Amino acid sequence: MKRFSVPLLLAVLVVLPFLAKPYALHVAIVVLFSVTYTAALYAVLRMGYLSLGHAGFIALGAYACVILSVRLGVSPWLGIPAGGLVAGLAAWGLGALTLRLRGIYFSLAVFAFGEIVTAFFRAFDWFGGPAGIPGVPRPSFFGTPLASHFAFYWLVLAVAVLGIGLLYRLQFTRFGATLLTLKSADSEKLAESVGIPAARYKTAAFVVSCAVTGCMGAVHAQYLLFVSPQVFTFLTSTDLLIYAMVGGLASFWGPILGAGVLTALGEQLFSVGYWKTLVYAAILMIVILVLPGGLIDLPRRLRARARAAIAAPEVR
Amino acid sequence: MSAVLTVQDISMRFGGLAALSEVSFEVGEGELTALVGPNGAGKSTLFNIIAGVFPPTAGRIELAGADVTGKSSHALARLGVARTFQLVTLFPDMTVEENVVQGLHRHTRLALFGGIFNTASYRADVARTTERARAVLALLGIEAHRNERAAELPLGIAKLLTVAIALATEPKLLLLDEPAAGLSLEESNRMMDLISGEVRKRCTVLLVEHNMRIVGRYCDRAVVLQFGRKIYDGRADGLVHDQAVVDAYLGVAEMA
Repeated sequence: MKRFSVPLLLAVLVVLPFLAKPYALHVAIVVLFSVTYTAALYAVLRMGYLSLGHAGFIALGAYACVILSVRLGVSPWLGIPAGGLVAGLAAWGLGALTLRLRGIYFSLAVFAFGEIVTAFFRAFDWFGGPAGIPGVPRPSFFGTPLASHFAFYWLVLAVAVLGIGLLYRLQFTRFGATLLTLKSADSEKLAESVGIPAARYKTAAFVVSCAVTGCMGAVHAQYLLFVSPQVFTFLTSTDLLIYAMVGGLASFWGPILGAGVLTALGEQLFSVGYWKTLVYAAILMIVILVLPGGLIDLPRRLRARARAAIAAPEVR
Repeated sequence: MSAVLTVQDISMRFGGLAALSEVSFEVGEGELTALVGPNGAGKSTLFNIIAGVFPPTAGRIELAGADVTGKSSHALARLGVARTFQLVTLFPDMTVEENVVQGLHRHTRLALFGGIFNTASYRADVARTTERARAVLALLGIEAHRNERAAELPLGIAKLLTVAIALATEPKLLLLDEPAAGLSLEESNRMMDLISGEVRKRCTVLLVEHNMRIVGRYCDRAVVLQFGRKIYDGRADGLVHDQAVVDAYLGVAEMA
């Protein structure tokens, strides 16, 4: 059954826009955004690094695309890879400086980075200042802009599938296996002693993660039709972490599941951001206490419980 | 006999403390040499300097005649220096076989694109690496454990695995930090038989050891440190007859 789940999921995602109403498509698009961000964040979490500023890279990708297309008149198509490039370059610099730090020091450094990014764009009028930049153009397909939810959905889906596909393949190659050797300071020492250039590996993984995030950030800005310093904030970063942890950190699909479920839920139930975060936090606490392996671990737990019940029927 | 490792006037200071003072010795190709000394003699410090964990305050380390002083640990690994750690260090969440595959890192190609598209040459490289990992496990007699999680291994097997990972790099010089420490007599004999047998056939070995029985029985040569200075350098079986060495050890016994 597991073998068919990915093709099945893809089939559903392809058929969906023909059946769904525009609002449902809006939810699907938003889900695809956060699923991609969370899958990218997971590539960093998996190395034992807790990033508290991943939204900074979404913002960088978004702003890079918007500045290019609104201020400099570059094609919105080019804005998408440009967003990935800018976020990736920033990750390269930041990673080289901070990936040698472990634990809370890394987390705080990336948190500071995220804050600096938004503060920077807020500070300069040319970058839109506090109000942001409206009128972001969407790419055109054979002369027609992707204006409807239906049309834009395909762009989002394509970037999501490419990005997540890349992250997936990388995790299960030898490159991805070697990243696991860098999970703790001790095993990193061992990795270095067998010739693994730890710093280079960590930086490479961080760059890929942030480049995927940046590409999607560019698409995100095109979807919203504007960007401002208030869109991708520290709360976005913590939301992504909550998605990943609620979904479960033991497998590639855990964070994706968590992001999908919680984003869909959040879009359905809440229009006010703070309430959403409160409910997310509550769900996170419940999951940590009751289901430490996350949602992805639920079927296994239920099966184990069922087996235990059969093996030892309750005595009345 | 040419020297694989030359330690030349190595000194190390931590603030005001002189951990090592002008220590020099050579390790010849194919030799099994023990670095001996009471606690705090500077063995681990010297070991870490040779392995590239930190550079010495003064002095030179040469590998087959080439200066490698201050090179990083992963650069040294590529030049053929492998090591184990005093505290058993493994990749805990991986299986035994996966641990050794990581040890083979410098003999594999990175092949990012090959990996992403799972090309035939990439698959062949992976298969070859797995085969080599199994050969190393077989050499140390632990291939039966290959699918077990490293974190769950008993100490005897875990220690053999640390040697397997280091050996997988196919080093010229293998540095073993107390390979027999904490093992039962039987396990310790098994370990030392392997090191003085199959392992030393493949590389030159320098090991840190406390146990005089092991040093005398298995090693060719011994270098003894005390208070950061070399006090003995010669045949391992001559160790127990040397007055300076006996004094150094009896001094420790008195304090203990």
